[in-house]
Amino acid sequence: MLVLTRRTGESIVIGNNIVVTVLEVRHDQVRIGIDAPRTVQVHREEVFNQVLRENTAAVASAADRANPLLRKPLPRPAAAQPVRKGPRLEPKRVAPRPPDAAEPTAGPPGAPPPPSAGPDDAPSPS
Amino acid sequence: MSGSASGTATAPEVAEDQILWFPDGIPGFPYSHRFVLVEMAPDSPFQILQSADEPDVSLIVTVPWLFFPDYDFELSELEQRELGITSEEETVVFSAVTLDGEHHRVYLNLLGPIVVNTTNRRGRQVVLVDSDLPVRAPVELG
Repeated sequence: MLVLTRRTGESIVIGNNIVVTVLEVRHDQVRIGIDAPRTVQVHREEVFNQVLRENTAAVASAADRANPLLRKPLPRPAAAQPVRKGPRLEPKRVAPRPPDAAEPTAGPPGAPPPPSAGPDDAPSPS
Repeated sequence: MSGSASGTATAPEVAEDQILWFPDGIPGFPYSHRFVLVEMAPDSPFQILQSADEPDVSLIVTVPWLFFPDYDFELSELEQRELGITSEEETVVFSAVTLDGEHHRVYLNLLGPIVVNTTNRRGRQVVLVDSDLPVRAPVELG
């Protein structure tokens, strides 16, 4: 393993286009910034390993495919509900929006003013 | 001489058009690139995702929404590009199933959904980033 010593704010370049920067060191925690092309997958190792280990367990389970557990009926509430078929897709990133394309702050013309603009805090007659 | 092919202990022959192509394999099994989906029983919610490259590698899978109707995750733009996905309609999602026969429990892996593009038959196990979904979600079967 290549071992490098870096200070806060210093970086390591991997290949042509991956930059790993030490952002902050506090006690035994290090915040790391990673600049990588969007084609590069970056994972926390323990999360990736969790899935890897579960796959190993799942493959071992497949040998037990005759297990009567798998022939039990589906849970009732789930079966009664419509089944979604796909994940949500992250919207495709396009060119950054110009600042004036931000959401409109004013309501449509002719719309009544929001209730909070009412004279609620007017002094009540004594 | 028999001239028969019986008795050969190779992986079952698979029709090319049934192959699902996992370019990166799946975590733990990086050399399994070709998989086929095998039905378990006509009315079973479970199927077998069988590696065509490594006969010993297979997973029981199911459609997660049958058990977790509120299951929801976002497929990153990177994953969409890797899979060539352009619409939700052409994606199918499976969860790998783990059995605990001793405790009569069945678990689904919700953290690593297996996403398949039905148009180009490319598949990938997505490891969700910054997600608190469980890798072992217990399922209550009737």
